[in-house]
Amino acid sequence: MKQLKDDSNNHSNTADTLTDLALLRLIQIHDSAFPIGSFTQTYGMETYIQEDVIRTKEDLVAYCTSFLFQNLVRGDAILIQEAYAAAQEQDIERLLYLEQLCGAIKLAKESREASVKLGRQFIKTVSPLGTDGFLTDWKARIDSKEIKGHYAILYGIYSATTGVSAHHAVMTYLFASLNGLVQNAVRAVPFGQTTGVQATYELIGQVTEAAKLVATLTETDISNNALGIELASMKHEYLFSRLFIS
Amino acid sequence: MPHVFQQPPLKASRELYEGKDPTATVYIMESSGGMVAGDRNDITVKLAPNSSVRLVQQSALKIYPSHTGDTCVQTINVELGEQARLEWMPEVIIPFVDAKFRADTTLRIASDATILWGEIVAPGREKRGEIFNYQSFHTNFKIFVEDELIAFDSLHFSPKEAALSDIGVLEDAMYIGSIWLVSPKAVDVDVRAIQETLRVDAGLKSGMTRLEGNAIHCRWLAVDQWTMQEDMKRVYALLAANV
Repeated sequence: MKQLKDDSNNHSNTADTLTDLALLRLIQIHDSAFPIGSFTQTYGMETYIQEDVIRTKEDLVAYCTSFLFQNLVRGDAILIQEAYAAAQEQDIERLLYLEQLCGAIKLAKESREASVKLGRQFIKTVSPLGTDGFLTDWKARIDSKEIKGHYAILYGIYSATTGVSAHHAVMTYLFASLNGLVQNAVRAVPFGQTTGVQATYELIGQVTEAAKLVATLTETDISNNALGIELASMKHEYLFSRLFIS
Repeated sequence: MPHVFQQPPLKASRELYEGKDPTATVYIMESSGGMVAGDRNDITVKLAPNSSVRLVQQSALKIYPSHTGDTCVQTINVELGEQARLEWMPEVIIPFVDAKFRADTTLRIASDATILWGEIVAPGREKRGEIFNYQSFHTNFKIFVEDELIAFDSLHFSPKEAALSDIGVLEDAMYIGSIWLVSPKAVDVDVRAIQETLRVDAGLKSGMTRLEGNAIHCRWLAVDQWTMQEDMKRVYALLAANV
């Protein structure tokens, strides 16, 4: 019995276990055909592309690595993890605070609006699928304009209510975010599809490393050192011609 | 100034007025020459309703090497009552080689109050070749308007652990400049027009954006301190005149 108890406390035996149902649900919500609009956002990368800074696969991988470790890991990923935990406890006060924090760390207007757009499309899309009552209550707060509905928070709540582990929720979010950027770079630079596939493949190792790092972080680690990207997001609003919303 | 409490090395000057302008100018002085090994500066500023204040720091904030391993901590808490107005354009923060610094700045303002706030961060004593040689530099900057958190800017730099020159981080920039404006009149500020006047020089990048509510944020990343400061002063004055 003691062995069983030890196993249940072991991260690798619990958090990493993914049921078939949970796995397929994750694949579905991160599919490019899942209509939440993530493939219309670059969060400032388009500015770099227009300034001719991202020209090669190596440039793209370097850019995505900075976005991953200096922005996503210490921003949305921590918030997903915290929202996941708060949703498990059904701690509304905590979730309301996290929702506010999620908007406050996104200083560039377009990135903040992208987070809300994706969140609203996400909840609109998953709601008719018969989601859990807690998520339905959260949707009511968005509908009544009590809250904005930031994607990372909704995604954390959704993951907690569908049997997906926090680790896998974070890891797939990070992967999907980078995959979306790479796909958009393929269209905007442009690159060949093969280059895009190779870039994403190269980033996979970093995504797994990033997901492990997130598990060691808490709210006090929230920061954004990616000031270049943030500035590019601010400038994107004033670009003369744009392919993407942010 | 109805209430002043101060302990060395921090000191607030008496309030000064320019002509008929009701704005009280107060100098914040630091007599020790800088923060060292675990020093702590606490600054609390409360503005009564309808008051108008300009706070000026007398010199750059120097953070000396942390020989003991302790982190220097600066806490600034600001509260603005109804229709109060505060301008704060601080001097540069300079973390020396091996410095460890943490700053927590919290602005809490009434919805009809106005605040114009600036900050500049240097990479170290650049002219001595001290560039990102500090141990750690952690800042948390929060703005609350009527208890709603509208902005949270947090930098966690540990240059010896993660390169700041990477694409998307600071790249070739060494100086970081920020201006924050919260005001009921911010809605009338033409952000696009000011954005178009921002200096575009080699080694100088800048951007401007609207925050949640009636707030505007400008950021500069620069190779050269003086070019950046010149542009910051210009934008600061422009915003001050607008609100």
